[in-house]
Amino acid sequence: MSRFACVWVDDFTAAAAARCEPALRAGPLAVLGLAAPVPRVLDANAAAREASVRPGMTETEARARCPALVTRPWAEARVTSGRHALLEAASSVSPRIEDWAPGVVHVDAAGLARLVGDPAVVGRRLLNRARAVGFAARVALADSRTTARLVAASARAAVTVVPPGRAREALAGAPLAVLGLDADLAATLARWGVATLGELAALPRDGLGTRLGPAGLRAYDLALGRDHDPFVPWAPPPFWEEAQGLDWELDSLTALSAVLEVVLGRLCARLAAAHLAADALEVTLELARGGHHALGVALATPLSEPAPMLTLVTLALEARPPGAPVTRVAARARPVAVCAGQAGLWQPPAPPQRELAAVLARLAALAGPGNVGAARVEDSHRPDAHALVPFAPPEDGILGERVACQDPPPAPAEGAPRLALRRVRPPRRVDVETDGEQPARADGRRVVARAGPWRGSGEWWDTGVWARDEWDAALGDGTLCRLAHDRRTGEWYLDGVYD
Amino acid sequence: MVVPGTITEIVGRLSSGRTSLLVACLGEVTGRGAVAALVDADGALDPASAARAGVDLARLLWVRCGGRRDVALRAADLLVRCQGFALVGLDLGETATPLSHAAAFRLRFAVERTASALVVVGRGRVTGPAASLVVETVRDRLEWAGPGPVPTRLAHVRAHARVLRARAARGAGAAPLGFCA
Repeated sequence: MSRFACVWVDDFTAAAAARCEPALRAGPLAVLGLAAPVPRVLDANAAAREASVRPGMTETEARARCPALVTRPWAEARVTSGRHALLEAASSVSPRIEDWAPGVVHVDAAGLARLVGDPAVVGRRLLNRARAVGFAARVALADSRTTARLVAASARAAVTVVPPGRAREALAGAPLAVLGLDADLAATLARWGVATLGELAALPRDGLGTRLGPAGLRAYDLALGRDHDPFVPWAPPPFWEEAQGLDWELDSLTALSAVLEVVLGRLCARLAAAHLAADALEVTLELARGGHHALGVALATPLSEPAPMLTLVTLALEARPPGAPVTRVAARARPVAVCAGQAGLWQPPAPPQRELAAVLARLAALAGPGNVGAARVEDSHRPDAHALVPFAPPEDGILGERVACQDPPPAPAEGAPRLALRRVRPPRRVDVETDGEQPARADGRRVVARAGPWRGSGEWWDTGVWARDEWDAALGDGTLCRLAHDRRTGEWYLDGVYD
Repeated sequence: MVVPGTITEIVGRLSSGRTSLLVACLGEVTGRGAVAALVDADGALDPASAARAGVDLARLLWVRCGGRRDVALRAADLLVRCQGFALVGLDLGETATPLSHAAAFRLRFAVERTASALVVVGRGRVTGPAASLVVETVRDRLEWAGPGPVPTRLAHVRAHARVLRARAARGAGAAPLGFCA
């Protein structure tokens, strides 16, 4: 027979703050969110709630209601460490526990009777373990996790044991609010006069399903203490770090790379064994003069192979070298689960993500980060309006968006390729002699043939106003170029050369 | 013209159609869904005209080298060693100092291993005997168009490509080229 316990900590965010500062337990405490523009209460402890402080209030409102209120800003690290502490406390009683929510832990209590004692003793032990890590919890034991959780949420006693087969009776008096239903459903049930789980469980299930749909059926099952979701066991997160202490000092990047290769190799082997990949790396170098040189390397794609990782770390170290010889090397990975991609049968092969990331990083180091990417034609009539965006070729077989030019020329002859223009950036000013408005000589070279003008202007509504005439001109030396006459300044520019 | 695992050189004078030929190759490769790269020594690519020529810009990695030829060569060396680029274009512009044989054959061995096609565009030959195919573009004539007697538009550039070197069974010869403006 299955038995479950639930360890419940009220107002967990506030409890986690009080765990770090035990003196705060004595008085009203509220945790404030950092969202701009006005800090709002995220959570409050029991003393603050007694003074009518509620989540969502502004700090001013909360202080007006409770002048003695002490506030602390939200800190994720505090909540995370508290959550882990509670889970570890529960896992010291039973090896099978489930992390349901912050401050809510399900414990599989089947078989603990012979090891620990009767259910009340199990409950007290869980209570003591939670207290030992700084949390005042409530514990309930029942046949199902849902029953144990709902009883723990609504009970007043520190330890509540629901006898086998008595879940319905144990939940009957609990208020409907413990189910955490969405606002519409809770309002509907309130209009029906349903205020407790017992009243909800007394309704006909089929009728509830017809009127409220799956959400109503789920609420009904919860009111009876039935589990819907499978038990997801929690395991302590592994420590994804590898380090190497050195008996000698490393003062060159080449020597450091050799050590990093070993460290990253070990780390990658562990990741590969767990079918994981690293999403980001943190490299910490202990310096001979004392102190550390920490380096974060964001990987463009999850990697589990040491070679591209080493390349990226080496490039990052080249950009930010340590200021002193190194005596210890440590690498920590942020692991992520990766799914294998499926290539198309008729799709041409694309560069593997891991290699592409390394090559792009190398190219950025070589040519400058602003010079590597994919070109994107801007939606503008301004000549040479384009941007360089990060290179990320589409993975499917659908071709990327083709950009239509704003002044489409006549359709080319069948199969005839287009003439390409070699841009001169920035456009070079040229001395042009004109015959009427037509260019006759450009930079001393005779214009033997010309076509134009192609008149354009734009952005007259802004500071970047432009107006110009473009001419295609064949020069005497054989060059075929595009000349532009700026109508605002009267200057002539060489825009590009057809090639 | 673009054969995987080989080096092709397109040489010719300015305005002879050599860049248009490279852009046409890029358009052909990206048009069938493959990924290509262009190492642009002078940063002279016009994305709008490339898009009009059929290049899928999302599949084209553009590396601008700001006139630094050594950077362009190193970037091309990196790219031809990366699997998955069907074509790597190296546009050296008007600078065409030949590479040493060692450097040229280093590129050739790299493209042979990764099955990329390297197309080098420049004023003259650069990779010497490492190139499998060398073509020279020569402009023949210009065709202008317009509604009246005075042309208002450049319509066509007629050119031809002359094979200077072909390592495979291709015979030396010339092929006509035509580019729409």
